[in-house]
Amino acid sequence: MTKAYLVETFIGVLVFDENKKLLLNIPAPSSIDDHVEYLLKVENGEETPQLAEALGKLRENGFSEVEVEHLSVARNVSNHGLKPNISPGHEVFLEARERLPSLALETGMYKTVDEYYQKYHEIMMEYTRRKLRREAQKRDLLAVQAIRAIDDIDKTINLYIARLREWYSIHFPELDELVKEHPEYAKLVYELGDRSNFTVENLRKLGYSMEKAEKLSEAARSSIGADLSDFDLNYIKILANIVLELYKLRDTLDGYIEVVMKEVAPNITAIVGPKLGARLMSIAGGLERLAKLPASTIQVLGAEKALFRALRTGGKPPKHGVLFQYPPIHKSPRWQRGKIARTVAAKLAIAAKIDFFSGRFIGDKLVKEIEERIEEIKKLYAKPPVKKEEEEKPKPKPKKKWRR
Amino acid sequence: MSEAVSVKPHAKYFGVYVVEMDDGSVRLATKNLVPGTRVYGEKLFRFENVEYREWNMYRSKLAGALGNGISEMPIREGHKILYLGVASGTTASHISDIIGVNGKVFGVEFAPRVMREFVIVADTRKNLIPILADARKPYQYRHVVELVDGLYADVAQPDQASIVADNADYFLKDGGYLLMAIKARSIDVTKEPSEVYRKEINTLKERGFEIVDVVHLEPYDRDHAMVLAVYHRKR
Repeated sequence: MTKAYLVETFIGVLVFDENKKLLLNIPAPSSIDDHVEYLLKVENGEETPQLAEALGKLRENGFSEVEVEHLSVARNVSNHGLKPNISPGHEVFLEARERLPSLALETGMYKTVDEYYQKYHEIMMEYTRRKLRREAQKRDLLAVQAIRAIDDIDKTINLYIARLREWYSIHFPELDELVKEHPEYAKLVYELGDRSNFTVENLRKLGYSMEKAEKLSEAARSSIGADLSDFDLNYIKILANIVLELYKLRDTLDGYIEVVMKEVAPNITAIVGPKLGARLMSIAGGLERLAKLPASTIQVLGAEKALFRALRTGGKPPKHGVLFQYPPIHKSPRWQRGKIARTVAAKLAIAAKIDFFSGRFIGDKLVKEIEERIEEIKKLYAKPPVKKEEEEKPKPKPKKKWRR
Repeated sequence: MSEAVSVKPHAKYFGVYVVEMDDGSVRLATKNLVPGTRVYGEKLFRFENVEYREWNMYRSKLAGALGNGISEMPIREGHKILYLGVASGTTASHISDIIGVNGKVFGVEFAPRVMREFVIVADTRKNLIPILADARKPYQYRHVVELVDGLYADVAQPDQASIVADNADYFLKDGGYLLMAIKARSIDVTKEPSEVYRKEINTLKERGFEIVDVVHLEPYDRDHAMVLAVYHRKR
């Protein structure tokens, strides 16, 4: 019995005999849309109508063994009652691949090589675009982008507020010391402008206490700053307004992240809140990636620099990365932080997997377990370790850097 | 902006040109396949009615390898090349210039973010084929890639040598060449770069590659090397 060599290609399913003679050719669909669907199915190892037809014909013609390139095809072959052999890189397949353009002409699907390549390029572009679109539909990436936007806004606000304080200090230098809160400062500059407007009455309207209002208006009256015209002040006020708008945008984004995070990752959100959860996803590169990370890696996400330094020099690995922002960690004494980080990371690893693969909600249970464990840590390790007593340290195994 | 004084074909490398500037500096360039368009903000030069694109040695590892005198540049006109880790297509666009309209670059990239940029480049350059797939799973794109003359790999993965070899088994013809960029820090930060290179090269040898040359990419890239090898298929 002769052997058949089956290969799925761009132009269709081809079957050769041992002498590399083309026995069978079931062409791929001719419309772009169907063609792309065909390519997607082959990629995922699903059975295409073309493959089914080819296998059916082989069986009719008395073939029993079929050589294929990969396990995914082999499965389909045995479903049709034929015996598959897997031999990737076999000569017949290589030659088929080499002759592909000329085979496309031989089978009459295309008239010239140019026409073939034009069509090929067109379809490959659409194929890739479709896969890109599918990728973009993942909602977790929205939360990731939003948290990155917040980080950008924070940086921008800091930059602008520093400028605003310096600029406005030409006029009213004392205010810089008196009002430390940035949004408050920007609001005063924007609402009042000229320091002669810093009256007790105006300040009371903005919600200041009598005491504070008097202090500010006194400072305004005796200020050593230069007098500025409305024309000059106007531009400072515009900057102040932009800062205020940025704060507003930041708040709306906070709300947005909360909504999205509750949808895509309810369990992670339950443990560390929407913002930290989104930040973890941002560093990992999406929910799927986070779900596939071990707890030990999650624990040090965001501390890559320290981790790799530790690996290189053999020093102490970091106890926590961005997880430090989790209140029970940064509020605890130093020697308890690593233990708490380890617990939280372990639960986060579970939560991420559930969020990505099933979506059930067990957040409340996880939170309870974390709380219990933290209490236990607080009790067991209430005192700092004596001198250089060995601290139980989480030792992430030398993790290789993942691709960005 | 400084002007090009002369453009000459490179003495050693096919399809690569040496541009001499009026300030005396010298740069590499390729003939622009799509005149008038830039890919990544590179400089364009016009000389005797032909447009050239500067090939920045700091941006492209292949240019860095040429700048450091790799023994041979095997890419020729009309070649088909499988490019693993094509990213946004900076290097691929220059390969596209060299191979011309009859060649093909099958550009495999896993990250959707940079693939989006590559698709834009491939839109105007018909010899670039975008493939959004994982280079670890060559069987997932076995149906859309032809047998190729060369393999270019810049995947920065710990197991990149075996990824490359797996792809060669499917797609690289006997006697075909390999250009592989090794980023030592991506493979193992704890080891010395030279040790990492040796390990990767040994893996390649075991899988049928004959090493022709290894060049370090200093000062263009730190702890990087480019390997040139020839593939001998096992029968």
